Amino acid sequence: MQLPRFEYVRAASLDEGLAALAKHGADAKIMSGGSDLLVNMKMRLDTPRVLISLGGIAELQDIEELPDGVLRIGAGCRLTDVIAHPGVSARFPALRDAVAAVGSRHVRNIGTLGGNLCLETRCWYTNQSEDWRKARDGCFKTDREACHVIKTASRCHAINSSDTAPALIALDASVVLAGPAGRRTVKVLDFYRDDGVQHTILAPDELLVAILVPDDGRRAVFAKLAQRVGLDYAAGSFAASLRGPADAPEAVRLVLNAVGAAPKALTESERLLMASGLTDEAIEAAALGARQSLGEVTNLFTPSGFKRRLVKALIRDALVTLRDQTA
Amino acid sequence: MKKLVQLNVNGDTHELAVNPDETLLGVLRNHLDLIGPKRGCDSGGCGCCTVHVDGKAVYSCMMYAVSAQDKNVVTIEGLGQNNDQGNGNGRELDPLQQAFIDAGAVQCGYCTCGVIMAAKELLDTVKNPDEDEIRHAIAGNLCRCTGYQKIVDAIKLAAAAV
Ligand SMILES: Cc1cc2nc3c(=O)[nH]c(=O)nc-3n(C[C@H](O)[C@H](O)[C@H](O)COP(=O)(O)OP(=O)(O)OC[C@H]3O[C@@H](n4cnc5c(N)ncnc54)[C@H](O)[C@@H]3O)c2cc1C
Ligand code: FES
Ligand code: FES
Repeated sequence: MQLPRFEYVRAASLDEGLAALAKHGADAKIMSGGSDLLVNMKMRLDTPRVLISLGGIAELQDIEELPDGVLRIGAGCRLTDVIAHPGVSARFPALRDAVAAVGSRHVRNIGTLGGNLCLETRCWYTNQSEDWRKARDGCFKTDREACHVIKTASRCHAINSSDTAPALIALDASVVLAGPAGRRTVKVLDFYRDDGVQHTILAPDELLVAILVPDDGRRAVFAKLAQRVGLDYAAGSFAASLRGPADAPEAVRLVLNAVGAAPKALTESERLLMASGLTDEAIEAAALGARQSLGEVTNLFTPSGFKRRLVKALIRDALVTLRDQTA
Repeated sequence: MKKLVQLNVNGDTHELAVNPDETLLGVLRNHLDLIGPKRGCDSGGCGCCTVHVDGKAVYSCMMYAVSAQDKNVVTIEGLGQNNDQGNGNGRELDPLQQAFIDAGAVQCGYCTCGVIMAAKELLDTVKNPDEDEIRHAIAGNLCRCTGYQKIVDAIKLAAAAV
């Protein structure tokens, strides 16, 4: 697979990166580790004229424990380095598990946390070779107002497969975005849009610079189901967090991913567990509620009926683990 | 437009003019004649292009050569002690390479260079890895021939030898 031609710009600082982005605008694409981008470029799903590499920016590669207990992870930190950081394993084991679930060690050795959060959405129809796509009609992702996976859709339903997104949302983490006008901090949940074409709120001239994980006494779990460990994207992934005793929680957060264009907060099921605690019955009801709340499930590599059953089992098992862990 | 890059590969420094769209795999194979890393899927899904960059196993098909500027790249050709006296056959095998021979862990051999590089990172970082750690380390390497058991045996053998 020959790659399309482009100009390569290696930014030495964040300011240089932002300036290059402002200059080249829509012609440019950001590259952190490149482990998602290169695949899309080889398939000609992405054909940027300018590639801005953030790999040389030292300030994006720090992990810091701030005085208020917040863990600040630079967007350019490699996934292997996030796993190896003692503060991550000791204080946020669910985050460590989610990071460790991304691809193989080879992928984690170049892939970054920022790149994982920005991971392009994927769809079985469009994420194919150029020849395959040429033989078929275009879609929202390419050149037509149509979706061939959900025929009635009025927007793109490509799937968000980021493994770290649900874990970070369950941990109530935020992202720091930098642009020409300065910085803004938003919750990871609000970072996403439920549209496979424009799936984050990042403006064209903005970069993701850091992830902030607060430590408010939550305990969390992460669970993923994929065809092959080490190579495959999630057929479903789930993260849950709990503050306070399991039978009388002070806060519960349940997040599902790989079921739509954005990670999905299961607010109904959260309310249910808040009201009755993590009893066997409540867990069963929360898992069933989640299954029923899935609207149009895109059938990315898994039939939607299978995905619904999978989601229910994934949630139930993870919640039992979370309860027993905190009992 | 071509870019000048300095690549440190197996201890030698090369200055090369490469197109930004050339992958590290392409440059190793086509410019430097290092054909240990193989081109399989060319999209990060099979592992036979695995090399080390700064001591870490990565897919060389998933990295632009320009991104490897100033980094230390090691391919299978760079493993083992170089005792070359000028006769071209003075390279001593790495214990992993020897173990793959002894355990019969090679069939067609297409995956072998990549698997060994992935296992090499493991043995460089973990003393006496257990079977689970071994299988996780090579989870990103596909082998269509061996069924993996002899590969795992070979890595255990090498772990015991180092
Ligand atoms: C074989 C294989 C298996 C994989 N398995 C998984 C998996 O199981 N789970 C999973 O979640 N992912 C998986 N991935 C996808 C990918 O490798 C990871 O998500 C990785 O973390 C992406 O990080 P990166 O730094 O390489 O991203 P890049 O490829 O550099 O970037 C990804 C996207 O984010 C944008 N971007 C990157 N950094 C920034 C930034 N700082 N600001 C704004 N935009 C930015 C890029 O423009 C691009 O669109 C897999 C990939 C491969 C090849
Ligand atoms: S050729 Fe690089 S992973 Fe398959
Ligand atoms: S020996 Fe043939 S692919 Fe592994």
